[in-house]
Amino acid sequence: MGFNKYVEVGKISLSNSLVYLMDFLAKSLFIGLIIFIFINLWKVVYGDSTSLIDGFTINMMVWYLVMTESIVTSQGKLLEEIGEEIRSGNIAQSLNKPYNFIVFKYASGFGNTFLRFIMTFTIGAIITLIFVGGINVQLVHLPLILLTVLFALTINFLMMALLGIFAFWLEDARALHFIYQKFVFVLGGMLLPLELFPQWLGDFSRVLPFSYVAYHPAKLWVMFNWSDFVNVIMNQLFWIVIFIITIALVYRICIEKISINGG
Amino acid sequence: MGIKNNLILLKEYMKIALASAMEYRFNFVLQSITMMLNDAIWILFWWIFFSRFNVVNGWQLKELLMLYAVVTFSYGFSGFLFGNHHNIANIIAEGKLDFYLGLPKSELFHLLISRSSAFSFGDAIFGLVLGIISFSIWQWPLFLLLITIAAVISISFAVIVGSLAFYWGNAEETARTLNFGMLSFAIYPLPIFKGFVRVLILTIIPAGFIGGIPVELLKNFSWQWLGLSILVAIIFFTVAIYVFRKGLKKYESGNLINVRV
Repeated sequence: MGFNKYVEVGKISLSNSLVYLMDFLAKSLFIGLIIFIFINLWKVVYGDSTSLIDGFTINMMVWYLVMTESIVTSQGKLLEEIGEEIRSGNIAQSLNKPYNFIVFKYASGFGNTFLRFIMTFTIGAIITLIFVGGINVQLVHLPLILLTVLFALTINFLMMALLGIFAFWLEDARALHFIYQKFVFVLGGMLLPLELFPQWLGDFSRVLPFSYVAYHPAKLWVMFNWSDFVNVIMNQLFWIVIFIITIALVYRICIEKISINGG
Repeated sequence: MGIKNNLILLKEYMKIALASAMEYRFNFVLQSITMMLNDAIWILFWWIFFSRFNVVNGWQLKELLMLYAVVTFSYGFSGFLFGNHHNIANIIAEGKLDFYLGLPKSELFHLLISRSSAFSFGDAIFGLVLGIISFSIWQWPLFLLLITIAAVISISFAVIVGSLAFYWGNAEETARTLNFGMLSFAIYPLPIFKGFVRVLILTIIPAGFIGGIPVELLKNFSWQWLGLSILVAIIFFTVAIYVFRKGLKKYESGNLINVRV
């Protein structure tokens, strides 16, 4: 067994994605456009003042968005892919191979996901530097922030994989993907930091797993704080474990049903 | 002759769309509800935003609801009746246009109506409900007129960017980015865009005319802006037909054998 095979799949997928660089670029540019629209929105909201809104300067607000958008949109259409493979029965080809289908998906997708994250972040950063300006981040904090980002990408993957398996029963992965995305956009704090929410909704969203994909890592990125960091990491690990267990259970039920269907 | 014939064709396609919706009832309802839920979550976002900031350059939640009524209704309506307008680049690149060329109907019209999306049906219903909430009965004729103008502009825009495939081959991603780019500009408050961007979205990327301008017109009617909207619709409509016909002359069919199911 060993872990090497997963690393190899990751490498292959990374080189594949370089071929589709232009396709990647178009998608990242689109996210750049959304960031640009929000820069316009925030400039109107902040006016000329250098004031703070719930602790955020305009620069922090925009850099926060660059981070959340880069994390959330880097996963691509994983949910629809898994849903389609299960629904069409193509998954049967993976079942007799000596690897776990979901771990395979994670490894083969991670090269893509990380590359897309870097690309979107770079484009977002360029646009933000041009229209708004920079942000103060201490170099020593960067590896720690990156760690929460990697966990965020993993939680996003796990939630999408879980919903992808549910598509086996619902038979419409696209619909699930749509709604999942919107939950992360709003309740996950991708578009607005949870501080701006009405108190009760902010408190509610803070404990949901969606906020560990977008809000928490991005908040650390613009306002690093040690106790927050420890808290976020612990909670991210908690959700990762919860989702792995859930996926293992649901996946087993799903596979059994597939064998009944004859594959 | 021409128009009447096309309308009969549209009616027949609508019958097929409804029959298929009834056949796959569960999925049709699921997709429609998904879209409504999707739109509702965007409204939730704006509700959160405006409960914190109240007014953005004269726009409040009220204007935002009007904007969503206009955009979702016109997009839903065009996606349900002319559901293929976002697939033109793909249809051209894969040589699937052949099917329409051999038939004695307008290729472009036939191409546009031969697909109907259940997601769009959800959009249309959402827009309808939001329209009923947002507008008085006296505003409805203007609302419907503006929806029609917006639909003409967005479909024409989609035809133009889709026709890029006649020249570039694979233009799918470009067309998609431009279509969604325009939609993205359309669903934010118009007054936040100033200077160059404002000029851009009121000219070559006519996002203002499919969202913000209709809202301003429903708030404060002005003949100039209505006239301008109609003019923009006519220009885009004409350019779309011209670009598509011109491109069609360059079209080389593929040898891909397609089965239309």
